[in-house]
Formats: sequence, structure tokens, C-alpha cells
Amino acid sequence: MLENFSFRTIGEYLPLFGQGLVTTVWLSVISFAGALLVGILLCAMNLQRSRALRVPAKAYIDVVRATPLLVQLYFLYFGLPRLGIILPELVVGVLALSLNSGAYVAEIIRAGILSIPRGQVEASVASGMSYLQRMRLVILPQAFKVTIPPLLGQAIVMVKDSALLSLISVAELTRAGQLLASDRFMPAEGFITVAAFYLMLYYCLKGLAVLSGRWLGLGPARSRA
Amino acid sequence: MARCSCELPSGRFSVVIEFQGVNKWFGSLHVLNDITLSVQPREVVVVCGPSGSGKSTLIRCINGLEQIQKGDLVVDEKRVGDPATNMTLLRTEIGFVFQSFNLYPHKTALENITLAPIHVRKTPRAQAEKDGRELLAKVGLGDKFNAYPSQLSGGQQQRVAIARCLAMRPKIMLFDEPTSALDPEMISEVLDVMVAVAEEGMTMMVVTHEMGFARRVAQRVVFMDQGSIVESGAPEEFFSNPKTERSKAFLGKILRH
Amino acid sequence: MIWQQLESLAGSYPLAMRGLGMTVVLSLIALVFGTLIGFGLGILRIGGSRVLSTVIGAWVDLIRGTPFLVQIFLIFFILPELGIKLDAFTAGIIALTNLNACFICEIVVAGIQSVPKGQVEAALASGLSKWQRMRQVVLPQAMRVVLPPLVGQYVLLIKDSSVVSAIGLTDLTRVGWLVVQRVPNGLLVFFLVGVGYFVVCYPLILLARRLEKRMSAAHGEVQL
Repeated sequence: MLENFSFRTIGEYLPLFGQGLVTTVWLSVISFAGALLVGILLCAMNLQRSRALRVPAKAYIDVVRATPLLVQLYFLYFGLPRLGIILPELVVGVLALSLNSGAYVAEIIRAGILSIPRGQVEASVASGMSYLQRMRLVILPQAFKVTIPPLLGQAIVMVKDSALLSLISVAELTRAGQLLASDRFMPAEGFITVAAFYLMLYYCLKGLAVLSGRWLGLGPARSRA
Repeated sequence: MARCSCELPSGRFSVVIEFQGVNKWFGSLHVLNDITLSVQPREVVVVCGPSGSGKSTLIRCINGLEQIQKGDLVVDEKRVGDPATNMTLLRTEIGFVFQSFNLYPHKTALENITLAPIHVRKTPRAQAEKDGRELLAKVGLGDKFNAYPSQLSGGQQQRVAIARCLAMRPKIMLFDEPTSALDPEMISEVLDVMVAVAEEGMTMMVVTHEMGFARRVAQRVVFMDQGSIVESGAPEEFFSNPKTERSKAFLGKILRH
Repeated sequence: MIWQQLESLAGSYPLAMRGLGMTVVLSLIALVFGTLIGFGLGILRIGGSRVLSTVIGAWVDLIRGTPFLVQIFLIFFILPELGIKLDAFTAGIIALTNLNACFICEIVVAGIQSVPKGQVEAALASGLSKWQRMRQVVLPQAMRVVLPPLVGQYVLLIKDSSVVSAIGLTDLTRVGWLVVQRVPNGLLVFFLVGVGYFVVCYPLILLARRLEKRMSAAHGEVQL
């Protein structure tokens, strides 16, 4: 019963939650770096003229977006050993998160690049810049600005998605809650604490998104109708 | 219009809009500074002044699109901003024409006109549509009832907007720079409609710089600057013999082009 | 050996169909109720009293800020402690519907806010009541902005439904998990599971894209 809600037990398990939180944070950081890498690569392929590059990138993005992360995770977790690749659960988890988020990151970056008005491209072409110069000096600096807030949004999604790694026994935050729930039969204590920690991470990232928006001079949300 | 102004209760009182020491601030900006002004039934008052002088705010207060912070504003015998006043009900008596038309883009010209009569006045749909078509014909758009706003020119949209107000058979019509968003060649078609409405005895307050319109139909011109009413008088008097430096400077600017 | 596996997989066909059915039923129920509740929440978030609006905002934030897996565990394990008996299916429906409603609430709020202020003022000036303004003027215009992300949200919903397998509901994902215990070929099994989701989700993704294109092409004032 909830009237017996035991803060003492939560206290006892606090070190475990702490470890879980730390694991969630750093595996999210690594996975996000991986997602950026995958995303930039996919986006670069997607913006080329050559169909041989564009089609695989598009297909990859569509397949990832049309299937659940959990299925992708199980695909790697149960499938890689089949190919003779034995990896620790944590590595499989990070791999799955990177490959999954990478598809979304690719779309975010693409939208950022496409949001640059045609006039900018035309002006840089007119002044004799090469493709790479145009990208580096004109397009990307402007695109960078508009992609930061949605990228932070994707980071929030990814941190929450990382909870699924508990299902392949990665010792992250949600797993800590599961342990408390099953060891002591205290699911309320376990999962409410876990939820509180995730909320903390959520508000940190959300605050960062607001700050970055202000810092980049993007307007705040539109006023109410 | 089928309306008979002698039935209006306001007819007995000879004032429909009365500002008494009205003040309003946007933050630290004093947009309405001690405004006192009354408008008689069937009177047409033109409000002019430089941009930012508070003229739009002034008429937007009348139907409560903006709230006043100090003073009294009585419209059709009801105190605006008083919790006892049903503003929704009061607004049905006041037509408001916007600078940017604000027609509903998802509804046809006729649907724009009949929306409020059907839902607010509870007019039967067939009756509302019949009236709506008559009003469209009256503003010279009898064949456009099925057109969506995006298929109409600016001048046509504004005429539909005026018809939309008339459909509610209001006692008062307010116009907030009705021609400033229009291409020059469309201005007169809208002004003609407004003149026709004025000549039927509608009580009107019009924020505009169209001095030709003011000369033709206005009984009074009110000149505002920096939130205050600086000068007010008959159009001829005001145009030929402005009394203050500010109004002289203003008239010099708008008459030059 | 691969033949043996294929045979064994074929034997799992009825189970797979049951799993797919469960996924579709879960998603459909959460879609219908989540959409209705989501629209209600969105409209009240904008037009309700300040207290109500704040409460809705806080709830939506709470749901958006925590992993869906944790929400499912909370509902499945804690509601019974409060004396509310529920099975995994009901818990899954509640969790999915709630999640869907909260995201749709945000989509509806953004749609309502995209309607130009002048539209509300025009409706206000002609004396339409609050709900008439919402119903006749604001919502029909907001729908143009709401529709593409709404379809996108349905894709997310179907994918999120896979997480209910964690409380033992035999949906498509859970079927894969069960089969892979007997047929040790994770690549093949979860490839097939993936195909199941793809077949349901991909048409919706294409629809969302088409809607989005139509909306951005028809920029400005257009009729529906």
C-alpha cells in the first residue's frame, strides 16, 4: 500500500540509483555522439545527386522510422551473436540507440539545410564559391543555428528511449528501479524514484533547449491565439 | 438597410459612445491619455493621427478587443469592462472592420457573412443566406457568394468583411484603417461602400487617413497624437484651418502625397 | 538447419497473427481514445481556466519527461496497490492512451496557436461565444497545421505499443521474443517482426509526408 511508502528503502538503494543515473547519462552522451555521426553521414548521402548514395540512405531512414526501437534492439541483441559477433549488452544498447537516433538526426539536419533560402545559395554561387565553400561558409553556419533546438529535442527522446536498455539487462536507471521493485517488492518506491530522476534529466535538457534558442536568437514560442 | 434608427434605445439618449477620462498603458507606454469623447447616433467620426498615436487602440477599446485601465467607457448604455456587462452581447451590436480584413479563409464569402447571424442571432439558415446574398449584392459582389477569400482581391475581401458586419444589423460600425492594406486602385470601391453605409444613418467611427472620405461624410474629425486627442472639429474647419502645430505638421505630411 | 528453422517459424504463424492482432487492437483503441482526449486536453489547455490549463500543462510535461516503459510499470504495478485491479491489457491501454493523448494535446495546442490573432478578433467582434469561436473559426483552421504531425503521432503510437510487451502482453514484439527462445535465429525472427510493423507504419509515414507537402505547398490562405 502506498501509505507504507518507504523513503528509507529508497535511501538504501540511492547508491544503486546514482550508478544507474550516471550510466544513463554517459551512455546517452556516447549514443548521441554516435547518432550525430550516423546522421551526418546519412544526410550527406541523402543530399547527393547520385542515386546509388541517395537510395540506401533514404531506405535506411524509412526502415528505422517505420519500426519500433525495441524491435531494432532485439534484432541486434538476438541477431548479432548469430553472426558470431558477441558484444556486451551495453555496447549493443549504445549501438541500437545510435543507429536509431541517427535516422532522426539525419532528417533534422536535412531540414536545417533545406530551410536556408535559395537566395543564399544563389548569392554564394554568384560570388564564385565552390560547393564545399558554399556549404562551409554560407549554408552550414546558418543551418547549424536552426538545428540545435530540434537536436536537443531528439536528445530528450533518446534519453527516454535508453530506458528500453533495461530490458536487455543493462544496469542503467530504469534497471535500478526494476531491481528495487523485484528485490523488495516495492514497485512504487522503485519506479517513482526512477521517474523523478528522468524528469530531472528532462528539465535539464529542456532548459538547455530554451537557453540555446535564446542564445541563438531564435524567437520564443509564439504567443497564444 | 431595413433597420429603423428611430427604434434604437440610444436615440433617446443622443449619445452612443462615451469616453470619460479613459486611460490605457501598454507597459510604461501611455497609449490612451485621458480621452474624453462622445459620439451621437448617426454621427460619423473620423479619427486620424500619426502611427502610434493610439487611434486604433481607441476604437479597439469600444468593443473590448483592448481593455481600458482607468476612466469610463459607455457604449450603447453599457459600461465596457464592467463585469455586469455581457461583452459578447454588446459586441453583436458593434460591427468591426479590420485593416487586414480577417475573413475566415476556410469559409466562402457567404459563409463568412452568415456565420454570426446563424450561431449568435440564431437566424434560420435559409433566412441568413437570403440576407447574406442581398448584402453581397449591396457591396457589389452579388456573384461572389461561393468564392473563398483567397480567390478575392483585397478590395473585394474588405467589402465582404463590411457585409459580414452589416449582417448582424449593428447599431455602431467601427473601421480600423480599412483601406491601408489595399492597393491604390481598390481603395475607392471600399470607400464607396462605406459612404453608402454612412448615408443610411449608421453611427460610425473610422480610423483613416482618407481625407476625401472625411470631407464627404464625416461630421467630425478627431486628431490624435501620442495617446491624446489634440484637436477635434468639423472636417472643413480642421482641414482648412488646423489649430495646433502638430495637426498642421500631420496634415502637411499626408496631403503632400 | 535453416529448413528446420523455417518449419518451426511456420508453426509460429498463428501466434504471430495473434501478436499482430494484439498490436493493431491496442493501437486502434489508444488511437481513438487518445485522439478524443488529446483534442479535449488541447482545447482546455488554451481555452480552459488558468488552474485547469496549468494542471494539464504539468501533466503533459510529466508524461513527456519520463520514459514510456517507466509509465507502464507505474500503472501496472502501482494502480493495484491503490486498490484498482487491472490486467496487463487494461494497463497497456491506459498507458498508451494517456501517452497518445498528451502528445496530441501538444500538437493541438501548436495548431491553435498557429491561427492568426486577427481571426480570433474577427470572431470576437461578431459576438461569437468562446466555444463558437473555437468550433467555427479556430479549430477548422488549426486542423491544417495539426493533421500532418497527428498522422506522425499515430506512427509513434504503433511503435510505442511494442513497449507493452515488457508487462507480458503478447503483442507482435512479445511474439518475436517468445519465438526466438525456440528458434535461435534472432536476425530472421526480428526481421520478420520488423516487417510486420513496417507494413502498418510505412503507409502512415507516406501519408504524413504527403499531407505535409500539401500543407506547405498551399501556404497562406486556402480552403480545406
